[in-house]
Amino acid sequence: MCTSLPMELYYFPPSPPCRAVMLLARAIDAKLELRHVDLMAGEHLAVDFVKLNPQHTIPTFVEGDLILCESRAILGYLVDRHAEDDSLYPQEPKRRARVNARLYFDAGTLHQRLYDYMVPVVFRGQKPSEEQWKKVEEAFGFLDKFLEDDEWVAGDSITIADYSIVVTTSNGEAFGLDLGKFPHVSRWYNKAKESMQDYEELNQAGANQLGNLFRARVAEAENSV
Amino acid sequence: MPIDFYYIPGSAPCRSVLLTAKAVGVELNLKLTNLMAGDHLKPDFLKLNPQHTIPTLDDNGFVLWESRAIMGYLVQQYGKDDSLYPKEPKKRALVDARLYFDIGTLYQRFAEYYYPVIFAGASFDPDKLAKLEEAYFFLDKFLEGQSWIAGDSLTIADLAIAASVSTADIVGFDISKYPNVTKWFAKAKTAIPGYDELNYSGCVQFKKMFDNLTAGK
Repeated sequence: MCTSLPMELYYFPPSPPCRAVMLLARAIDAKLELRHVDLMAGEHLAVDFVKLNPQHTIPTFVEGDLILCESRAILGYLVDRHAEDDSLYPQEPKRRARVNARLYFDAGTLHQRLYDYMVPVVFRGQKPSEEQWKKVEEAFGFLDKFLEDDEWVAGDSITIADYSIVVTTSNGEAFGLDLGKFPHVSRWYNKAKESMQDYEELNQAGANQLGNLFRARVAEAENSV
Repeated sequence: MPIDFYYIPGSAPCRSVLLTAKAVGVELNLKLTNLMAGDHLKPDFLKLNPQHTIPTLDDNGFVLWESRAIMGYLVQQYGKDDSLYPKEPKKRALVDARLYFDIGTLYQRFAEYYYPVIFAGASFDPDKLAKLEEAYFFLDKFLEGQSWIAGDSLTIADLAIAASVSTADIVGFDISKYPNVTKWFAKAKTAIPGYDELNYSGCVQFKKMFDNLTAGK
């Protein structure tokens, strides 16, 4: 019986949600066929890609007739369908709900606020907004609270929520977040980085790239005034 | 023991949980949490949820926030079957993908366009309207050739997105430009149990607040 269809991932290395999928796939040893989509060159707007995913976002995951977008849905699917056990995304309703809650916190608050801070600088030539940075710090303050009594972001063991949030945290750091202000985040972040296979290659390199791009744009915006 | 639910009727994410509870057949002990009066910043609530967001659910000590996580939990823990949130990995992943589309794009862009006008006295920003319209264009594409948001049956993704779409609709966002959305929305309103009582009534409250806070502009 043939049960393993090829799994394709349309991705761009510096893209944070793509990095989360790459890290998790490595952790469960899921072999992805990588399809490079250069966002800066507009490759996501090519006719074939828009046909695949009308929202033309990356990551986009394809396995047989399944076309899946949204990184956090992809993380969950990879564990549900391809991991040896459910430890990274527990089936038990309460444990799963906690993981989902943290993934939605990342999608709607932590990542969202960082994204809102980055986009005007990187894509619109604006200076970084101090007001928006305060919101970023507030969100990391919430995360710090969540981690006060828990070893990992959704309880006492590592889950896909850690994979998603470690990427967001590395972006925060790349944009200048002082992790010293968030002791619980700091403790968790160091442990998470050590626990994730090929972390430097799959995440840190992309975070550095994004950080360099951000700083170059900040310098341009300052010099243009 | 009752399940406490901290909510406000005008909030779309709160309404989507109410719709889920109704569809699953679970009773919630409703705890009205008035954001305008700062109920969410009181010490007892902060102890429960340091992020002080609503909706928040307290199921006998198991405290959960993030509406879409609560919806999944109610189906998994209390549902008679898994039809609203299928266990099969592919089907579930498609529901999850649409829930993330809602939080990150559809509802997000609604909030970005309307909230500064409602809560901060700003004027409408045409660039933000264009982004919101694009989000509805994506939703319309997703619905092409399928009856429901995540496939051929009603799921919690329909409940979440019905709450988002109805809220945009009532404050004047024109959904008639999106034929698949319009068709789906008409069907959703009749298919979702308790829609009028639990969702539409909350939309009316949201509209009242919108009118009050934007009066004279």
